[in-house]
Amino acid sequence: MFLSDQIRRAGRSLRSAKARTLLTAMAIAVGAFALTLTLAASNGAQSFVNNIIAKNFDPTELIVVADQTVLGGGNTSKPVEYSGNFGTSVSNSGAVTQVKRLTDSDIEKIKAVPGVESVREDITANLQYLTRPEQKKFVGTMQSFPPFQQPDLVTGSIPKPLIGKQVLLPEAYISALGFPSAEAAVGKTITIAVQKPAVTDAPQTFAQAIVQDSIVQEFTITAVLKKPTTSQPGTELYLFTSQEAARELNDISTLGTANYRAYTDIFVKVADGNNAQNITTVQNKIKDIGFYAQSVKDTQAFLTQIISVLQGIVIAFGLIAVLASIFGIVNTMYISVLQRTREIGLMKALGMRKRDIGRLFRFEAAWIGLLGGTIGAGLAFGLGTALNPWITTKVNLGTGNSLLIFQPLQIGILILILVTISILAGWLPSRKAAKLDPIEALRAE
Amino acid sequence: MIELKDITKTYGKGDSLFTALYKINVAIPTTTTAAIIGKSGSGKSTMMHIMSGLDRPSEGDVIINDKALSELKPKQIDKFRSTEMSFIFQAFFVEANQTCYQNVMLPLEIAKVGRRNRRKRVIEALTAVGLEEKIDTQASKLSGGQKQRLAIARAIVNNPKIIFADEPTGNLDSTTGEIIIKLLFDLHKSIGVTLVIVTHDEELAARCSMRIYMKDGEITRVEGNGKQSTTNKKTRRV
Repeated sequence: MFLSDQIRRAGRSLRSAKARTLLTAMAIAVGAFALTLTLAASNGAQSFVNNIIAKNFDPTELIVVADQTVLGGGNTSKPVEYSGNFGTSVSNSGAVTQVKRLTDSDIEKIKAVPGVESVREDITANLQYLTRPEQKKFVGTMQSFPPFQQPDLVTGSIPKPLIGKQVLLPEAYISALGFPSAEAAVGKTITIAVQKPAVTDAPQTFAQAIVQDSIVQEFTITAVLKKPTTSQPGTELYLFTSQEAARELNDISTLGTANYRAYTDIFVKVADGNNAQNITTVQNKIKDIGFYAQSVKDTQAFLTQIISVLQGIVIAFGLIAVLASIFGIVNTMYISVLQRTREIGLMKALGMRKRDIGRLFRFEAAWIGLLGGTIGAGLAFGLGTALNPWITTKVNLGTGNSLLIFQPLQIGILILILVTISILAGWLPSRKAAKLDPIEALRAE
Repeated sequence: MIELKDITKTYGKGDSLFTALYKINVAIPTTTTAAIIGKSGSGKSTMMHIMSGLDRPSEGDVIINDKALSELKPKQIDKFRSTEMSFIFQAFFVEANQTCYQNVMLPLEIAKVGRRNRRKRVIEALTAVGLEEKIDTQASKLSGGQKQRLAIARAIVNNPKIIFADEPTGNLDSTTGEIIIKLLFDLHKSIGVTLVIVTHDEELAARCSMRIYMKDGEITRVEGNGKQSTTNKKTRRV
């Protein structure tokens, strides 16, 4: 029998048992539905992460730290040796820690590493308060603005480069500071105060908050930032200003302390950093001189790791559904062989080969797999496409992001795999059909 | 020429040994109409199965047109059956949920006949049995006699050299059975095929040019030598 004749005959015998076929296929459809949605969601998550990375990181830069714990590594259950060079700080849980920082001399060493184009310190200045005339005072944190960052804006624009005492203000401060609207705030000034530290011989700790003189500066609002959809908790209200303005504020607030000109992390721009090889080379050289360097790729891998774990769980559930459907197919195929015993006998009597009869039933199983896979993937695609805009707004992914991204090739491969699984499930029944004794089969009533 | 040489067929072992056929020797010449007559359990069906290669004898050999079936591999026997033989059964065995066209097509598909000739050959076969107008009708909508005519169309579509008919009128009333028999013998005359009919119907057997009587797995009597005309005078008696 020609292959096409077998495929057609297999399909025809399924059509003669429509309800049974459809019900068996539905079991696979459930698996296909779950797997299609998982794949789409993981595509969405992947592209979401990539978007975030692209908006927040410069791929030609390395983030360099002196203390591994900053990058989420290191051993936090080991006692940390005290160093007189840096101040201590308090972690989220209230524990006192000491984070090793990078000093100006460290930065000089890193600048001397071949392949390093420039170094940009990540400066975070603790403000005493920020306010406007006749408004309440608020606490705040001012950070140096990374030049490549493209935050979502409510209004205004970010000058390139951002210089002097210009500030990017999170939208939450707009009504707090008494602006009628974000638009009205652009071009206006806010008052920023930083406190001079109490200089003592002893290293400064969090407990030594003694009221000191304040320095007050005026900053012009150049843009209003949308609430970021993803950010480290506590950083949503960061204000951003130019590198030099941030440095000035930080210098004032740390002058004379152990934290003066000491940075938790710095950004190192690699010459010709679009070449991944250069990034790795510089990364290793920085490690060799005793610092820790993380590339954007590493950050991305760290973020996607969590996604892959979640994804693995959902895929496992989908596979369980597929596994269950295998038994359904085996059962259905056995029934089909039983019902068609006489037909098999006739075909054998007419000289159909064992191999061809086996194949006829495997094609039948393949059709069930194709039907189930197509129904499941089709439903997932239809439902996903219809609900995607709504879900995406509900989970607030931000503009340009989509929770579900369907890739036709991926769905095609998935269906192909399901068809293969179905064929394997049809193996035993098809063997039974092939081995039937034609005389016995023809005698069957 | 179909020759059976010293055919013995046994089932089981030891005490439960059952001999279905015992030392059968018979030769059916080409283009003969041969009837195998016997009561149920006489071994007539087993003999037909062995002749057609569906079943293998315990001893002895089947020689069809100088080819010994025992020397052929299963694959070659399958090929042999798909190109040179066909079957008609008491219970028709037509696929009820398929159309007449699809039913008659089956042997052509099995024998891998090229697509171009298929439809023409199916129409020819259906025309030969007078079902050309039912070509796209579902087999389930046919009457018993029409179903057997459909089975005959399926049996002749492949231009076989031998047709085995197992009680072809067993499920039909006498009038319809008579039509089927007339059709079978007319076709035999026009296409020159060897027709082997297994039956317990003496009247049907009487119309064949060769009659092989069987009892308890042995041939008791052979009438005719196959050289008689197929339009045997005895048929006029009916």
